Amino acid sequence: MKYAIYLLLAICAMVTACTVEKTDYDAEIATDTTEYFDFEEVTTIKKGDYKVTIEALNGTLYKGYNEIHIIIVHAQTDEQIKNADLAFLPILTDANGNKSSCPHEYSLSYDAINGYYQGYSVFTNASSTTSSWDLYIDFAIGNDLNKLVESVTVEEQVNKNLNMTAFTGQDNNQYFIALVAPQSPDVAKNDLVAGIYKFIQPNQPAGDFPDPSQYTYAIVDDHSLLLDPRMPEPSMGNHSSPYNENLTQGNDGLYHGVVNYTMTGNWTLNFIFQDVNGKTIKGTEVPIDFTPGIEGKKSELYIDILF
Amino acid sequence: MRFLTLILLVFGPWVQAQNTPVTSDSLDVVLDEVLIVAAKKAKIETDMKMAVSVDEFLASSDNISFVKRGAYAWEPLLNNMSTERSTITIDGMHVFGACTDKMDPVTAYVESNNLSDIDIKSGQEGSLNGATVAGSIDLKRKSTAFGRAKTWDGAYQTGFEFNNKQFFNLGNMSYSSDKLVVDASMSHRKADDYSDGNNDEVDHSQFTKFNTSLGLAYKTSDLSSLRVDAIFDQANDVGYPALPMDLSLSRALITSVAFKQFFEKGLVKVWDSKVYFNAVEHYMDDTTRPENLVHMDMPGWSTTYGLISKVNLKGENYTAEIQLNAYDNLSIAEMRMYPQDRSERTMFAYSWPWVTTRYAGLSMSNAWDISNRSQLNFGGSLGVNYNYSKYIEFNRIFHPEASQEKTRFLPNVYASYQWDNQGFNFSIGTGYGHRAPSVSEGYGYYIYNSFDRYDYIGDPDLENEISYEVNASAGFTHKKGGIKAQVNYFYIQNYIIGRILSAGSPMNYQSVGVKGYTSLDYATLFNFSLNANYSILQNVHWKGTLTYARGLDDNQNNLPFIRPLSYQTGLHYSYRKFGIQAALNGDLMQVNYSPEYGEDETPSYTNLNVSADYSFYINNYKTVVQIGAENVFNTYYSTYADWGNIPRMGRNFFTSLKINL
Repeated sequence: MKYAIYLLLAICAMVTACTVEKTDYDAEIATDTTEYFDFEEVTTIKKGDYKVTIEALNGTLYKGYNEIHIIIVHAQTDEQIKNADLAFLPILTDANGNKSSCPHEYSLSYDAINGYYQGYSVFTNASSTTSSWDLYIDFAIGNDLNKLVESVTVEEQVNKNLNMTAFTGQDNNQYFIALVAPQSPDVAKNDLVAGIYKFIQPNQPAGDFPDPSQYTYAIVDDHSLLLDPRMPEPSMGNHSSPYNENLTQGNDGLYHGVVNYTMTGNWTLNFIFQDVNGKTIKGTEVPIDFTPGIEGKKSELYIDILF
Repeated sequence: MRFLTLILLVFGPWVQAQNTPVTSDSLDVVLDEVLIVAAKKAKIETDMKMAVSVDEFLASSDNISFVKRGAYAWEPLLNNMSTERSTITIDGMHVFGACTDKMDPVTAYVESNNLSDIDIKSGQEGSLNGATVAGSIDLKRKSTAFGRAKTWDGAYQTGFEFNNKQFFNLGNMSYSSDKLVVDASMSHRKADDYSDGNNDEVDHSQFTKFNTSLGLAYKTSDLSSLRVDAIFDQANDVGYPALPMDLSLSRALITSVAFKQFFEKGLVKVWDSKVYFNAVEHYMDDTTRPENLVHMDMPGWSTTYGLISKVNLKGENYTAEIQLNAYDNLSIAEMRMYPQDRSERTMFAYSWPWVTTRYAGLSMSNAWDISNRSQLNFGGSLGVNYNYSKYIEFNRIFHPEASQEKTRFLPNVYASYQWDNQGFNFSIGTGYGHRAPSVSEGYGYYIYNSFDRYDYIGDPDLENEISYEVNASAGFTHKKGGIKAQVNYFYIQNYIIGRILSAGSPMNYQSVGVKGYTSLDYATLFNFSLNANYSILQNVHWKGTLTYARGLDDNQNNLPFIRPLSYQTGLHYSYRKFGIQAALNGDLMQVNYSPEYGEDETPSYTNLNVSADYSFYINNYKTVVQIGAENVFNTYYSTYADWGNIPRMGRNFFTSLKINL
């Protein structure tokens, strides 16, 4: 009898050990995405009596949208400098020595609760051997104006869910759309957040470099971004998902919408970008038919993601 | 009705026993008799064929029809309703298949040589083991009595079916002593592709199945026993010609430990308690189908723990069974699609996102002999059904407000009255019951249905399906024969069925759209059967069956998978040690089909089957050989319930040999 029970237990153990392992779902959805929550130091620059610390998620600047925190402290007393006039300007120098910038917040305001100056920068290129990024930071404490320049490295964006695109609209303006969230999507309803910016053409000749008036970018207000997510892979036959919501601007200046991902893998976010009056600036409708074996056609305006 | 016979059979000897002086020896005998009667009640064989599969045996029942996706693991439809609406149990234990495409109904995990009987109850009378609408199918395992005269017993069957080159070997043995009983069985079947009536091979219709079972019972006292049971079943390389995928491996381990206590005096006669565990794993395989555009892995797992505790009561003209039934099931099914460029990222989703089902119910069935001629049966159950979806975000894509947890109360009641006098008998009954949506109906996610070619999405907040049922029968039996007509009618509120969704697009490349499980206001189902048998001569017996069913939705459109008018008729002739059988069966044209659910008109067909057997003795071992042919005219046909109109098997010669050891 005992023997039989042992035998049964042994069979139990043998059979419950499945031949195919169940998928570890948390690991599965984190394969191609890393989620960063903590702001860490990118660099600290000493300038006169002050130390300026630049922080970003994971302590790294990536191509695409970066929220930037700047902390200024007095080098001797370690006292935080609040409410200084802080100007922030990223400048890209290419192989030919041409200078350009990218969407950014020029005047950073002080966040008293968290104790830092908050801004953002949407780097349009990663640093390479031929192109480099410098941050021009000016801060005035009373009448004491400090200017500093710091070279920084912008890493390639490995998380496709934070991809960006730059394009010229039908109104001949230069626009930028950068994904902000979700960093690590789920097979679920995801809140999709993007920043939309445009370059403001300077209307006066350049002054001394760096002349901020030559590098002005603005958040695009009250436009809308129509969304049609699809899986472009031929085997997926232009598969899409239900109940997505177009992106509209929120109080934080960013655009918020909803994207449903029905499974992991490659997805294309097809967009149609429209102005306040519903006039299309960029983007085309994509076919909605289910066409197995044929690669899904993309809108003129799209961002590929992967998770 | 069948259930009642079983109760009477089980308790018959007890009634006698109470009139005799009670000694410990006679009690042993009584206990054994009870078990013997229960065990020897029936054999798993049909009139036509002595070595049948479980599916073939079930097919011989009037109210069972089958959805067939190939030659293996047919899905039994009870009262023309799919498996979600019936409870299928093994000795009362709940087992749930692990395949989202219903490739593995529970009946696929047993074998005819470890079963003693299959107990089919229609409608709410089947609610004893759990909430149901259609009824219940309980597969009864073999269990040998203690202290039988013959200590060792066994049987061996082998056979060959020529059409699909199926070779099978089934063996079972039992040992019985005063204290210990061992039942063991082992079987193996291997079949190639079958050929249809045009002699064309139906690709992907092969199968291999191995099944073994072991049961050990130990008599812990004069009136109690402990029994440990296990079934292990493994199927490899099973083709499903009607589906875009096959099966590489399915395995099930079904175990239980039961304790039974008999009582000498009082109303309570037996208290039987059992804890059980079963694990099913199922791995679909499409590497056998190079024509598929997308390679997918679709593994599934289903694990169930449960408890059954029941007491049988017996008064002077009253018997009852009270049962407590509880189980916990976890169903998981995954789907991983591979892009053409295999170096690219695979695509993953859950088709069953870790769905837990817990059920606890208390049920009762009663039989009260009002007089010698009439009897009242009544009973019911009250169950609590709880569902939890671990990855509810999948379900919320289509149902944003879906609740992660859902508790339902499932009441079921029934009553029937039977009257019997001088060969005439009639019965009338009614029932009311709820059932909870199945895992697929509630939580399924992009489950591809190759019949109507839609991807199906479950809805966690579906209402309970509520059935109102009436049934009646009338019959006459005479010493030379009998006739019986049975009808039942179901009015099912919130009937769950797939409806095309405007939202979403297909995921599986063969699919044409997305359907969501939704509730119709109601649907109605009507089933009728007429049975007759007659002994023309002492050794010539005739038997015939006619069945008809009709199912309509709330717009009076046809429901799918409703059997058209069908008939079976057979003649049996025996002469000394010879037996010869011939049977004709067929369906009329399926006129009331449902195009909405992918059905088309199915033409009528008729099949003739014949067989002959001869019994003899080899060294005192009774041996039977049988030869026969199914579909003698090699008709090319497919039935209304053949998935994707796959053709059925053409002419099939079969042979088998059975030795009783």
